[in-house]
Amino acid sequence: MAKKKRTSWIVWLRRLTQTGFFLLFCYLFLQTVYHPINKAGWGITFFFNLDPLLALCSWLASHALVGAMLLSLLTLGVTFICGRWFCGWVCPLGALHNFFTSLRGGRAKQKLEAGGYHSWQKAKYYGLVTFVVAAVLGANVVGWVDPISFFFRSLSISIYPAINKALVVVFTWIYDANPGIGPVRLTLVTEPLYGFLRKYFLAVEQPYYWGSLLIGTLFITVVALNFWRARFWCRYACPLGALLGVVGKNPLVRLKKNEEKCNSCRLCLVDCQGGATPDSLWKPSECFYCWNCKSDCPAQAITFTPSASQRCHSERSEESRSDSLVHTSERGSSLRCE
Amino acid sequence: MNRLSNWLGEFVHPPREARLDLGRRALLGAGLAGLGAKVLFGIAPQASKRSFNPALIRPPGALPEDEFLARCIRCGECMKVCPTNAVHPASLEGGVEGLWTPLLIMSLGYCDYECNLCSQVCPTHAIRQIEVPEKQKIKIGLAYIDRNRCLPWAYSKTCIVCEEHCPTPKKAIWFEEVEVRNIQGEKLTVKQPRVDPDLCIGCGICETKCPVKAPAAVRVTSVGESRNPENQMLLSNDNYGQG
Repeated sequence: MAKKKRTSWIVWLRRLTQTGFFLLFCYLFLQTVYHPINKAGWGITFFFNLDPLLALCSWLASHALVGAMLLSLLTLGVTFICGRWFCGWVCPLGALHNFFTSLRGGRAKQKLEAGGYHSWQKAKYYGLVTFVVAAVLGANVVGWVDPISFFFRSLSISIYPAINKALVVVFTWIYDANPGIGPVRLTLVTEPLYGFLRKYFLAVEQPYYWGSLLIGTLFITVVALNFWRARFWCRYACPLGALLGVVGKNPLVRLKKNEEKCNSCRLCLVDCQGGATPDSLWKPSECFYCWNCKSDCPAQAITFTPSASQRCHSERSEESRSDSLVHTSERGSSLRCE
Repeated sequence: MNRLSNWLGEFVHPPREARLDLGRRALLGAGLAGLGAKVLFGIAPQASKRSFNPALIRPPGALPEDEFLARCIRCGECMKVCPTNAVHPASLEGGVEGLWTPLLIMSLGYCDYECNLCSQVCPTHAIRQIEVPEKQKIKIGLAYIDRNRCLPWAYSKTCIVCEEHCPTPKKAIWFEEVEVRNIQGEKLTVKQPRVDPDLCIGCGICETKCPVKAPAAVRVTSVGESRNPENQMLLSNDNYGQG
Protein backbone atom coordinates (compact mmCIF):
# COMPACT_ATOMS: atom_id res chain seq x y z
CA MET A 1 0.00 0.00 0.00
CA ALA A 2 1.44 3.36 -0.99
CA LYS A 3 2.19 5.70 1.89
CA LYS A 4 -0.12 8.68 2.25
CA LYS A 5 1.63 11.86 1.33
CA ARG A 6 1.27 15.31 2.85
CA THR A 7 -2.04 16.96 2.09
CA SER A 8 -1.97 19.47 -0.73
CA TRP A 9 -2.39 23.17 0.11
CA ILE A 10 -5.44 23.34 -2.15
CA VAL A 11 -7.16 20.77 0.01
CA TRP A 12 -6.45 22.91 3.05
CA LEU A 13 -7.76 25.96 1.19
CA ARG A 14 -10.88 24.07 0.23
CA ARG A 15 -11.47 22.97 3.82
CA LEU A 16 -10.98 26.50 5.01
CA THR A 17 -13.38 27.83 2.41
CA GLN A 18 -15.97 25.21 3.27
CA THR A 19 -15.66 26.03 6.95
CA GLY A 20 -15.90 29.73 6.17
CA PHE A 21 -19.09 29.38 4.17
CA PHE A 22 -20.54 27.03 6.76
CA LEU A 23 -19.85 29.51 9.53
CA LEU A 24 -21.27 32.31 7.40
CA PHE A 25 -24.44 30.29 6.93
CA CYS A 26 -24.69 29.72 10.66
CA TYR A 27 -24.02 33.37 11.34
CA LEU A 28 -26.74 34.50 8.94
CA PHE A 29 -29.04 31.93 10.52
CA LEU A 30 -28.42 33.32 13.99
CA GLN A 31 -28.90 36.84 12.67
CA THR A 32 -32.40 35.95 11.47
CA VAL A 33 -33.97 37.26 14.62
CA TYR A 34 -35.69 40.33 15.88
CA HIS A 35 -33.17 43.06 16.52
CA PRO A 36 -34.48 46.01 18.50
CA ILE A 37 -34.77 48.11 15.36
CA ASN A 38 -37.10 45.71 13.51
CA LYS A 39 -34.80 45.42 10.56
CA ALA A 40 -33.43 42.24 9.06
CA GLY A 41 -29.82 42.67 8.07
CA TRP A 42 -28.79 43.22 4.48
CA GLY A 43 -27.77 39.97 2.83
CA ILE A 44 -29.56 37.75 5.27
CA THR A 45 -30.80 35.55 2.43
CA PHE A 46 -27.38 35.36 0.77
CA PHE A 47 -27.28 31.58 0.34
CA PHE A 48 -30.82 31.50 -1.02
CA ASN A 49 -29.82 34.13 -3.54
CA LEU A 50 -26.88 32.04 -4.69
CA ASP A 51 -29.04 28.99 -5.31
CA PRO A 52 -29.90 28.56 -9.01
CA LEU A 53 -32.35 25.73 -8.41
CA LEU A 54 -34.57 27.88 -6.23
CA ALA A 55 -34.32 30.73 -8.71
CA LEU A 56 -35.20 28.45 -11.62
CA CYS A 57 -38.15 26.73 -9.99
CA SER A 58 -39.57 29.87 -8.41
CA TRP A 59 -39.39 31.62 -11.75
CA LEU A 60 -40.94 28.68 -13.60
CA ALA A 61 -43.78 28.33 -11.11
CA SER A 62 -44.61 31.98 -10.50
CA HIS A 63 -43.28 33.70 -13.64
CA ALA A 64 -41.55 36.25 -11.47
CA LEU A 65 -38.14 36.45 -9.84
CA VAL A 66 -36.79 38.52 -7.00
CA GLY A 67 -33.85 40.56 -8.27
CA ALA A 68 -31.47 39.35 -5.60
CA MET A 69 -31.84 35.80 -6.83
CA LEU A 70 -30.08 36.70 -10.04
CA LEU A 71 -26.94 36.23 -7.98
CA SER A 72 -27.48 32.56 -8.76
CA LEU A 73 -26.34 33.27 -12.31
CA LEU A 74 -22.91 33.71 -10.80
CA THR A 75 -23.10 30.18 -9.43
CA LEU A 76 -24.15 28.87 -12.83
CA GLY A 77 -21.42 30.79 -14.56
CA VAL A 78 -18.69 29.37 -12.40
CA THR A 79 -20.23 25.90 -12.74
CA PHE A 80 -19.83 26.07 -16.51
CA ILE A 81 -16.14 26.59 -15.90
CA CYS A 82 -15.43 24.61 -12.77
CA GLY A 83 -18.22 22.06 -12.54
CA ARG A 84 -19.72 21.37 -9.13
CA TRP A 85 -17.33 23.67 -7.25
CA PHE A 86 -20.36 24.88 -5.31
CA CYS A 87 -20.87 21.41 -3.87
CA GLY A 88 -17.25 21.06 -2.95
CA TRP A 89 -16.43 24.53 -1.68
CA VAL A 90 -19.53 26.57 -0.88
CA CYS A 91 -22.61 24.55 0.01
CA PRO A 92 -23.00 24.57 3.80
CA LEU A 93 -25.01 21.35 3.81
CA GLY A 94 -22.31 19.79 1.64
CA ALA A 95 -19.73 20.87 4.18
CA LEU A 96 -21.75 19.23 6.92
CA HIS A 97 -22.03 16.00 4.94
CA ASN A 98 -18.33 16.19 4.17
CA PHE A 99 -17.57 16.51 7.84
CA PHE A 100 -19.71 13.55 8.87
CA THR A 101 -18.33 11.46 6.02
CA SER A 102 -14.82 12.14 7.23
CA LEU A 103 -15.80 11.06 10.73
CA ARG A 104 -16.40 7.53 9.61
CA GLY A 105 -12.70 6.69 9.31
CA GLY A 106 -12.25 3.09 8.31
CA ARG A 107 -9.65 1.48 6.14
CA ALA A 108 -9.18 2.27 2.51
CA LYS A 109 -11.01 -0.87 1.43
CA GLN A 110 -14.13 0.08 3.39
CA LYS A 111 -13.92 3.61 2.05
CA LEU A 112 -13.74 2.30 -1.48
CA GLU A 113 -16.93 0.35 -0.97
CA ALA A 114 -18.72 3.29 0.52
CA GLY A 115 -17.18 5.85 -1.76
CA GLY A 116 -17.13 4.28 -5.17
CA TYR A 117 -19.44 5.47 -7.90
CA HIS A 118 -22.81 3.79 -7.86
CA SER A 119 -25.36 4.00 -10.64
CA TRP A 120 -27.99 5.03 -8.07
CA GLN A 121 -26.24 8.37 -8.21
CA LYS A 122 -28.33 8.95 -11.30
CA ALA A 123 -31.43 9.09 -9.06
CA LYS A 124 -30.86 12.74 -8.28
CA TYR A 125 -31.17 13.66 -11.95
CA TYR A 126 -34.54 11.99 -12.17
CA GLY A 127 -35.56 13.77 -9.00
CA LEU A 128 -34.51 17.05 -10.55
CA VAL A 129 -36.68 16.38 -13.60
CA THR A 130 -39.67 15.61 -11.38
CA PHE A 131 -39.31 18.83 -9.44
CA VAL A 132 -38.68 20.97 -12.51
CA VAL A 133 -41.73 19.57 -14.28
CA ALA A 134 -43.80 20.20 -11.15
CA ALA A 135 -42.49 23.77 -11.11
CA VAL A 136 -43.35 24.31 -14.76
CA LEU A 137 -46.89 23.31 -13.82
CA GLY A 138 -46.93 25.78 -10.94
CA ALA A 139 -45.98 23.65 -7.94
CA ASN A 140 -42.79 25.03 -6.41
CA VAL A 141 -42.23 22.07 -4.13
CA VAL A 142 -38.50 21.78 -4.81
CA GLY A 143 -38.09 23.73 -1.59
CA TRP A 144 -38.72 20.49 0.28
CA VAL A 145 -35.44 19.04 -0.95
CA ASP A 146 -33.32 21.96 -2.06
CA PRO A 147 -30.26 21.78 0.19
CA ILE A 148 -30.22 25.41 1.35
CA SER A 149 -33.92 25.32 2.07
CA PHE A 150 -33.69 21.88 3.69
CA PHE A 151 -30.79 22.89 5.90
CA PHE A 152 -32.22 26.24 6.99
CA ARG A 153 -35.63 24.77 7.70
CA SER A 154 -34.19 21.85 9.67
CA LEU A 155 -32.03 24.18 11.72
CA SER A 156 -34.91 26.59 12.37
CA ILE A 157 -37.56 24.09 13.29
CA SER A 158 -35.62 21.37 15.07
CA ILE A 159 -31.87 21.51 15.45
CA TYR A 160 -31.47 25.01 16.83
CA PRO A 161 -34.41 24.73 19.25
CA ALA A 162 -33.01 21.40 20.43
CA ILE A 163 -29.51 22.78 20.96
CA ASN A 164 -30.97 25.81 22.67
CA LYS A 165 -33.01 23.69 25.04
CA ALA A 166 -30.12 21.35 25.80
CA LEU A 167 -27.76 24.19 26.61
CA VAL A 168 -30.25 26.01 28.79
CA VAL A 169 -31.12 22.84 30.68
CA VAL A 170 -27.48 21.95 31.29
CA PHE A 171 -26.38 25.40 32.38
CA THR A 172 -29.44 25.87 34.55
CA TRP A 173 -28.86 22.53 36.22
CA ILE A 174 -25.27 23.50 37.00
CA TYR A 175 -26.49 26.79 38.38
CA ASP A 176 -29.10 25.11 40.57
CA ALA A 177 -26.97 22.21 41.72
CA ASN A 178 -23.96 24.47 42.22
CA PRO A 179 -21.33 21.75 42.37
CA GLY A 180 -17.90 22.53 43.69
CA ILE A 181 -15.60 22.38 46.68
CA GLY A 182 -15.74 25.19 49.21
CA PRO A 183 -15.39 28.54 47.48
CA VAL A 184 -14.41 26.92 44.18
CA ARG A 185 -17.66 26.42 42.31
CA LEU A 186 -18.23 25.24 38.76
CA THR A 187 -20.49 28.23 38.21
CA LEU A 188 -17.43 30.48 38.31
CA VAL A 189 -16.65 29.09 34.87
CA THR A 190 -20.06 28.22 33.53
CA GLU A 191 -21.89 31.44 34.32
CA PRO A 192 -19.66 33.75 32.26
CA LEU A 193 -19.80 31.18 29.45
CA TYR A 194 -23.58 31.12 29.74
CA GLY A 195 -23.67 34.89 29.59
CA PHE A 196 -21.67 34.81 26.40
CA LEU A 197 -23.97 32.22 24.85
CA ARG A 198 -27.03 34.21 25.93
CA LYS A 199 -25.73 37.25 24.18
CA TYR A 200 -24.53 35.72 20.92
CA PHE A 201 -26.11 32.35 20.43
CA LEU A 202 -29.11 31.40 22.52
CA ALA A 203 -32.64 32.43 21.64
CA VAL A 204 -34.39 35.09 23.68
CA GLU A 205 -37.18 32.63 24.35
CA GLN A 206 -37.13 28.91 23.77
CA PRO A 207 -38.79 28.34 20.39
CA TYR A 208 -41.28 25.52 19.88
CA TYR A 209 -42.47 24.48 16.45
CA TRP A 210 -45.14 22.21 15.10
CA GLY A 211 -43.62 19.52 12.90
CA SER A 212 -40.30 19.67 14.69
CA LEU A 213 -40.10 15.93 15.28
CA LEU A 214 -40.61 14.98 11.64
CA ILE A 215 -38.31 17.64 10.28
CA GLY A 216 -35.64 16.89 12.85
CA THR A 217 -35.80 13.15 12.27
CA LEU A 218 -35.51 13.59 8.51
CA PHE A 219 -32.49 15.80 8.95
CA ILE A 220 -30.73 13.49 11.35
CA THR A 221 -31.46 10.51 9.06
CA VAL A 222 -30.00 12.30 6.05
CA VAL A 223 -26.87 13.22 7.98
CA ALA A 224 -26.53 9.73 9.43
CA LEU A 225 -26.67 8.21 5.95
CA ASN A 226 -23.16 9.59 5.44
CA PHE A 227 -21.98 6.71 7.57
CA TRP A 228 -23.38 4.30 5.02
CA ARG A 229 -22.38 6.00 1.79
CA ALA A 230 -19.98 8.92 1.51
CA ARG A 231 -21.80 12.24 1.06
CA PHE A 232 -25.03 10.36 0.55
CA TRP A 233 -27.27 13.39 0.06
CA CYS A 234 -24.89 15.12 -2.33
CA ARG A 235 -24.44 12.08 -4.51
CA TYR A 236 -27.83 10.43 -4.55
CA ALA A 237 -30.52 12.93 -3.61
CA CYS A 238 -29.56 16.57 -4.02
CA PRO A 239 -31.48 18.20 -6.88
CA LEU A 240 -29.22 21.24 -6.78
CA GLY A 241 -26.27 18.91 -7.17
CA ALA A 242 -28.08 17.37 -10.11
CA LEU A 243 -28.70 20.76 -11.71
CA LEU A 244 -25.07 21.75 -11.24
CA GLY A 245 -24.06 18.35 -12.57
CA VAL A 246 -26.03 18.98 -15.74
CA VAL A 247 -24.71 22.51 -16.16
CA GLY A 248 -21.21 21.40 -15.25
CA LYS A 249 -21.07 18.20 -17.23
CA ASN A 250 -18.57 19.66 -19.64
CA PRO A 251 -16.43 22.01 -17.57
CA LEU A 252 -13.48 23.99 -18.77
CA VAL A 253 -11.29 22.98 -15.85
CA ARG A 254 -10.84 19.25 -16.18
CA LEU A 255 -9.10 16.45 -14.35
CA LYS A 256 -6.14 15.30 -16.37
CA LYS A 257 -4.42 12.05 -15.60
CA ASN A 258 -0.90 11.40 -16.71
CA GLU A 259 -1.13 7.81 -17.87
CA GLU A 260 2.61 7.19 -17.72
CA LYS A 261 2.80 8.14 -14.06
CA CYS A 262 -0.39 6.35 -13.00
CA ASN A 263 0.10 2.83 -11.63
CA SER A 264 -3.57 2.14 -10.88
CA CYS A 265 -3.12 2.08 -7.15
CA ARG A 266 -6.63 3.57 -6.86
CA LEU A 267 -5.68 5.73 -3.90
CA CYS A 268 -7.45 8.56 -5.71
CA LEU A 269 -10.72 6.69 -5.30
CA VAL A 270 -10.45 6.27 -1.55
CA ASP A 271 -11.20 9.86 -0.62
CA CYS A 272 -13.11 10.90 -3.74
CA GLN A 273 -16.06 12.81 -2.36
CA GLY A 274 -18.36 12.77 -5.32
CA GLY A 275 -17.79 9.30 -6.71
CA ALA A 276 -16.32 10.77 -9.86
CA THR A 277 -14.06 7.77 -10.64
CA PRO A 278 -10.82 9.66 -11.17
CA ASP A 279 -9.03 6.37 -11.70
CA SER A 280 -10.81 5.46 -14.89
CA LEU A 281 -13.16 7.70 -16.85
CA TRP A 282 -13.54 10.89 -14.81
CA LYS A 283 -17.15 11.95 -14.41
CA PRO A 284 -17.27 15.75 -14.36
CA SER A 285 -20.92 15.82 -13.33
CA GLU A 286 -20.10 13.99 -10.11
CA CYS A 287 -16.85 15.78 -9.29
CA PHE A 288 -16.88 18.31 -6.46
CA TYR A 289 -13.39 19.60 -7.27
CA CYS A 290 -12.37 18.77 -3.72
CA TRP A 291 -8.82 18.02 -4.91
CA ASN A 292 -8.52 14.97 -2.66
CA CYS A 293 -7.51 12.74 -5.55
CA LYS A 294 -4.76 15.09 -6.64
CA SER A 295 -3.58 15.45 -3.09
CA ASP A 296 -3.60 11.71 -2.40
CA CYS A 297 -1.95 10.52 -5.61
CA PRO A 298 1.54 9.31 -4.67
CA ALA A 299 2.69 9.51 -8.27
CA GLN A 300 1.34 13.03 -8.78
CA ALA A 301 -0.41 11.82 -11.89
CA ILE A 302 -3.52 13.98 -11.49
CA THR A 303 -3.85 17.65 -12.34
CA PHE A 304 -6.79 19.99 -12.80
CA THR A 305 -6.27 22.29 -15.74
CA PRO A 306 -8.36 24.21 -18.21
CA SER A 307 -8.48 21.99 -21.24
CA ALA A 308 -10.77 20.47 -23.77
CA SER A 309 -11.87 16.94 -22.96
CA GLN A 310 -9.45 14.15 -23.65
CA ARG A 311 -11.97 12.20 -25.72
CA CYS A 312 -10.38 9.01 -24.49
CA HIS A 313 -11.63 5.83 -26.08
CA SER A 314 -10.70 3.44 -23.35
CA GLU A 315 -11.42 -0.25 -23.63
CA ARG A 316 -12.28 -0.04 -19.97
CA SER A 317 -14.99 2.54 -20.51
CA GLU A 318 -17.76 -0.06 -20.65
CA GLU A 319 -16.66 -1.55 -17.34
CA SER A 320 -16.42 1.79 -15.64
CA ARG A 321 -20.04 2.56 -16.45
CA SER A 322 -21.28 -0.71 -15.02
CA ASP A 323 -23.18 -1.01 -11.81
CA SER A 324 -20.35 -2.33 -9.70
CA LEU A 325 -19.58 -0.53 -6.49
CA VAL A 326 -15.90 -1.24 -6.60
CA HIS A 327 -14.00 -0.74 -9.80
CA THR A 328 -11.96 -3.53 -11.19
CA SER A 329 -9.68 -1.59 -13.42
CA GLU A 330 -7.43 -3.78 -15.52
CA ARG A 331 -3.97 -2.54 -16.13
CA GLY A 332 -2.46 -3.30 -19.47
CA SER A 333 -5.01 -1.62 -21.69
CA SER A 334 -3.56 1.70 -22.67
CA LEU A 335 -5.73 4.66 -23.39
CA ARG A 336 -5.71 6.17 -26.80
CA CYS A 337 -6.35 9.87 -26.52
CA GLU A 338 -6.98 12.38 -29.26
CA MET B 1 -8.38 30.18 -28.28
CA ASN B 2 -8.47 26.81 -29.94
CA ARG B 3 -9.12 25.21 -26.56
CA LEU B 4 -11.98 27.61 -26.01
CA SER B 5 -13.65 26.87 -29.31
CA ASN B 6 -13.15 23.14 -28.74
CA TRP B 7 -14.77 23.48 -25.37
CA LEU B 8 -17.72 25.42 -26.70
CA GLY B 9 -18.11 22.90 -29.50
CA GLU B 10 -18.43 20.14 -26.95
CA PHE B 11 -21.71 21.51 -25.73
CA VAL B 12 -23.06 20.50 -29.09
CA HIS B 13 -21.23 17.19 -29.27
CA PRO B 14 -20.61 16.06 -25.69
CA PRO B 15 -17.67 13.71 -25.17
CA ARG B 16 -18.24 10.34 -23.57
CA GLU B 17 -17.47 11.30 -19.98
CA ALA B 18 -19.74 14.30 -20.20
CA ARG B 19 -22.74 12.14 -20.94
CA LEU B 20 -24.96 11.58 -17.99
CA ASP B 21 -26.30 8.27 -19.29
CA LEU B 22 -29.84 8.87 -18.12
CA GLY B 23 -32.36 6.46 -19.51
CA ARG B 24 -34.97 8.04 -21.71
CA ARG B 25 -37.78 6.04 -20.19
CA ALA B 26 -36.68 6.85 -16.70
CA LEU B 27 -36.55 10.54 -17.57
CA LEU B 28 -40.02 10.35 -19.02
CA GLY B 29 -41.16 8.56 -15.89
CA ALA B 30 -39.65 11.26 -13.73
CA GLY B 31 -41.39 13.93 -15.74
CA LEU B 32 -44.69 12.12 -15.49
CA ALA B 33 -44.20 11.87 -11.74
CA GLY B 34 -43.92 15.63 -11.63
CA LEU B 35 -47.05 15.96 -13.73
CA GLY B 36 -48.87 13.41 -11.60
CA ALA B 37 -47.91 15.23 -8.43
CA LYS B 38 -49.28 18.48 -9.77
CA VAL B 39 -52.51 16.80 -10.83
CA LEU B 40 -52.95 15.26 -7.39
CA PHE B 41 -52.29 18.63 -5.78
CA GLY B 42 -54.93 20.12 -8.02
CA ILE B 43 -57.72 17.92 -6.74
CA ALA B 44 -57.21 18.76 -3.08
CA PRO B 45 -60.17 20.64 -1.55
CA GLN B 46 -57.96 23.67 -1.00
CA ALA B 47 -57.68 24.02 -4.75
CA SER B 48 -61.45 24.11 -5.20
CA LYS B 49 -61.77 27.75 -4.14
CA ARG B 50 -64.93 26.73 -2.35
CA SER B 51 -63.62 25.43 0.93
CA PHE B 52 -61.00 27.04 3.06
CA ASN B 53 -59.09 25.66 5.97
CA PRO B 54 -59.75 27.80 9.05
CA ALA B 55 -56.29 26.99 10.36
CA LEU B 56 -54.53 28.19 7.21
CA ILE B 57 -53.70 31.67 8.50
CA ARG B 58 -50.89 33.03 6.35
CA PRO B 59 -48.53 35.81 7.44
CA PRO B 60 -49.61 39.35 6.54
CA GLY B 61 -48.33 40.27 3.12
CA ALA B 62 -48.69 36.75 1.81
CA LEU B 63 -49.73 36.61 -1.81
CA PRO B 64 -53.02 34.95 -2.84
CA GLU B 65 -52.77 31.22 -2.32
CA ASP B 66 -51.92 30.01 -5.85
CA GLU B 67 -49.16 32.57 -6.24
CA PHE B 68 -48.04 31.98 -2.69
CA LEU B 69 -47.58 28.27 -3.26
CA ALA B 70 -45.76 29.00 -6.50
CA ARG B 71 -43.25 31.28 -4.79
CA CYS B 72 -42.79 29.88 -1.31
CA ILE B 73 -39.63 27.79 -1.15
CA ARG B 74 -40.57 26.29 2.24
CA CYS B 75 -37.28 27.58 3.64
CA GLY B 76 -38.36 28.50 7.17
CA GLU B 77 -36.84 32.00 7.20
CA CYS B 78 -40.13 33.53 8.31
CA MET B 79 -40.49 30.87 10.99
CA LYS B 80 -37.03 31.56 12.32
CA VAL B 81 -37.37 35.32 12.40
CA CYS B 82 -40.85 35.61 13.90
CA PRO B 83 -40.21 37.16 17.32
CA THR B 84 -43.34 35.72 18.88
CA ASN B 85 -42.89 32.14 17.58
CA ALA B 86 -46.21 32.44 15.79
CA VAL B 87 -45.19 31.12 12.36
CA HIS B 88 -44.99 27.36 11.95
CA PRO B 89 -44.58 24.91 9.08
CA ALA B 90 -47.95 23.67 7.85
CA SER B 91 -48.68 19.98 7.75
CA LEU B 92 -51.68 19.41 5.47
CA GLU B 93 -53.70 22.57 6.12
CA GLY B 94 -52.81 23.86 2.70
CA GLY B 95 -52.96 20.47 1.08
CA VAL B 96 -49.92 18.30 0.42
CA GLU B 97 -48.56 21.04 -1.82
CA GLY B 98 -48.62 23.35 1.19
CA LEU B 99 -46.44 21.11 3.32
CA TRP B 100 -43.98 23.19 5.36
CA THR B 101 -45.31 26.51 4.06
CA PRO B 102 -45.85 29.04 6.86
CA LEU B 103 -49.01 29.49 8.84
CA LEU B 104 -49.73 31.14 12.16
CA ILE B 105 -50.76 29.19 15.23
CA MET B 106 -52.26 31.76 17.54
CA SER B 107 -52.29 29.52 20.57
CA LEU B 108 -48.48 29.55 20.43
CA GLY B 109 -47.77 33.11 19.30
CA TYR B 110 -49.41 36.16 17.76
CA CYS B 111 -48.58 38.52 14.95
CA ASP B 112 -47.00 41.53 16.59
CA TYR B 113 -48.63 44.79 15.55
CA GLU B 114 -45.36 46.67 15.00
CA CYS B 115 -43.47 43.90 13.23
CA ASN B 116 -42.98 43.05 9.54
CA LEU B 117 -39.88 40.85 9.82
CA CYS B 118 -41.31 37.88 7.94
CA SER B 119 -41.95 40.07 4.92
CA GLN B 120 -38.39 41.38 5.14
CA VAL B 121 -36.68 38.00 5.11
CA CYS B 122 -38.74 36.02 2.59
CA PRO B 123 -36.23 35.26 -0.20
CA THR B 124 -38.80 34.92 -2.98
CA HIS B 125 -41.28 37.57 -1.74
CA ALA B 126 -44.02 35.02 -1.33
CA ILE B 127 -44.66 37.29 1.63
CA ARG B 128 -44.47 40.63 -0.12
CA GLN B 129 -42.24 43.26 1.36
CA ILE B 130 -44.57 45.65 3.13
CA GLU B 131 -44.01 48.46 5.56
CA VAL B 132 -45.53 48.29 9.02
CA PRO B 133 -48.38 50.79 8.39
CA GLU B 134 -49.56 48.71 5.43
CA LYS B 135 -49.23 45.50 7.41
CA GLN B 136 -51.41 46.95 10.14
CA LYS B 137 -54.32 47.21 7.72
CA ILE B 138 -54.06 43.70 6.34
CA LYS B 139 -56.43 41.14 7.77
CA ILE B 140 -55.03 37.66 8.10
CA GLY B 141 -58.23 36.31 9.62
CA LEU B 142 -60.86 37.20 12.19
CA ALA B 143 -61.23 36.46 15.86
CA TYR B 144 -64.44 35.02 17.24
CA ILE B 145 -65.56 34.66 20.84
CA ASP B 146 -66.45 31.20 22.02
CA ARG B 147 -69.31 32.11 24.31
CA ASN B 148 -69.27 28.64 25.86
CA ARG B 149 -65.74 29.16 27.17
CA CYS B 150 -65.35 32.87 27.69
CA LEU B 151 -65.32 33.71 31.42
CA PRO B 152 -67.84 36.61 31.43
CA TRP B 153 -70.11 34.77 29.01
CA ALA B 154 -70.11 31.26 30.40
CA TYR B 155 -68.94 31.57 34.00
CA SER B 156 -70.21 34.97 35.18
CA LYS B 157 -66.63 35.91 35.98
CA THR B 158 -64.94 39.17 35.13
CA CYS B 159 -62.23 39.24 32.50
CA ILE B 160 -61.11 41.91 30.06
CA VAL B 161 -57.80 40.48 28.86
CA CYS B 162 -58.61 40.20 25.15
CA GLU B 163 -59.86 43.76 24.83
CA GLU B 164 -56.87 45.09 26.75
CA HIS B 165 -54.39 43.46 24.37
CA CYS B 166 -56.16 44.29 21.15
CA PRO B 167 -53.67 46.52 19.31
CA THR B 168 -55.82 48.22 16.67
CA PRO B 169 -56.12 52.00 17.06
CA LYS B 170 -59.85 51.65 17.62
CA LYS B 171 -60.10 48.35 19.44
CA ALA B 172 -61.67 45.53 17.50
CA ILE B 173 -63.09 44.05 20.69
CA TRP B 174 -65.84 45.93 22.49
CA PHE B 175 -67.87 45.19 25.58
CA GLU B 176 -71.50 44.80 26.27
CA GLU B 177 -72.06 45.34 29.98
CA VAL B 178 -74.45 42.69 31.15
CA GLU B 179 -75.95 42.01 34.49
CA VAL B 180 -75.60 38.37 35.41
CA ARG B 181 -75.88 36.28 38.51
CA ASN B 182 -73.01 34.32 39.97
CA ILE B 183 -73.17 30.88 41.56
CA GLN B 184 -74.10 32.34 44.94
CA GLY B 185 -77.06 34.04 43.32
CA GLU B 186 -75.62 37.54 43.66
CA LYS B 187 -76.02 40.02 40.87
CA LEU B 188 -72.92 41.41 39.23
CA THR B 189 -72.09 43.24 36.06
CA VAL B 190 -69.63 41.66 33.68
CA LYS B 191 -68.20 43.00 30.46
CA GLN B 192 -68.93 40.49 27.75
CA PRO B 193 -66.52 40.89 24.84
CA ARG B 194 -67.63 41.00 21.25
CA VAL B 195 -65.43 41.16 18.18
CA ASP B 196 -65.92 43.84 15.57
CA PRO B 197 -65.24 42.05 12.26
CA ASP B 198 -64.71 45.32 10.41
CA LEU B 199 -61.85 46.32 12.67
CA CYS B 200 -60.32 42.96 13.59
CA ILE B 201 -57.16 42.14 11.64
CA GLY B 202 -56.79 38.64 13.03
CA CYS B 203 -53.44 39.26 14.71
CA GLY B 204 -54.23 36.67 17.34
CA ILE B 205 -52.93 38.38 20.46
CA CYS B 206 -56.34 37.88 22.02
CA GLU B 207 -56.10 34.13 21.51
CA THR B 208 -52.53 33.97 22.75
CA LYS B 209 -53.21 35.98 25.91
CA CYS B 210 -56.65 34.61 26.71
CA PRO B 211 -56.49 33.09 30.20
CA VAL B 212 -58.70 30.22 29.07
CA LYS B 213 -56.47 27.61 27.46
CA ALA B 214 -56.76 24.57 25.25
CA PRO B 215 -58.60 25.96 23.43
CA ALA B 216 -58.75 29.67 24.10
CA ALA B 217 -62.12 31.36 24.54
CA VAL B 218 -61.39 33.70 21.65
CA ARG B 219 -59.88 32.18 18.52
CA VAL B 220 -58.80 33.32 15.09
CA THR B 221 -59.72 31.58 11.86
CA SER B 222 -58.74 32.46 8.34
CA VAL B 223 -62.11 33.81 7.18
CA GLY B 224 -61.96 37.49 6.38
CA GLU B 225 -58.35 37.44 5.17
CA SER B 226 -57.62 40.39 2.90
CA ARG B 227 -55.70 38.41 0.31
CA ASN B 228 -58.62 36.12 -0.53
CA PRO B 229 -61.88 37.70 -1.68
CA GLU B 230 -63.59 34.30 -1.57
CA ASN B 231 -62.80 33.54 2.07
CA GLN B 232 -65.03 36.23 3.52
CA MET B 233 -67.98 36.42 5.86
CA LEU B 234 -68.98 40.05 5.30
CA LEU B 235 -69.76 41.86 2.12
CA SER B 236 -67.28 44.58 2.78
CA ASN B 237 -64.12 44.96 4.79
CA ASP B 238 -64.45 48.66 5.38
CA ASN B 239 -64.49 50.30 8.73
CA TYR B 240 -67.85 51.72 9.76
CA GLY B 241 -68.85 54.76 7.84
CA GLN B 242 -65.71 54.91 5.74
CA GLY B 243 -67.16 53.65 2.52
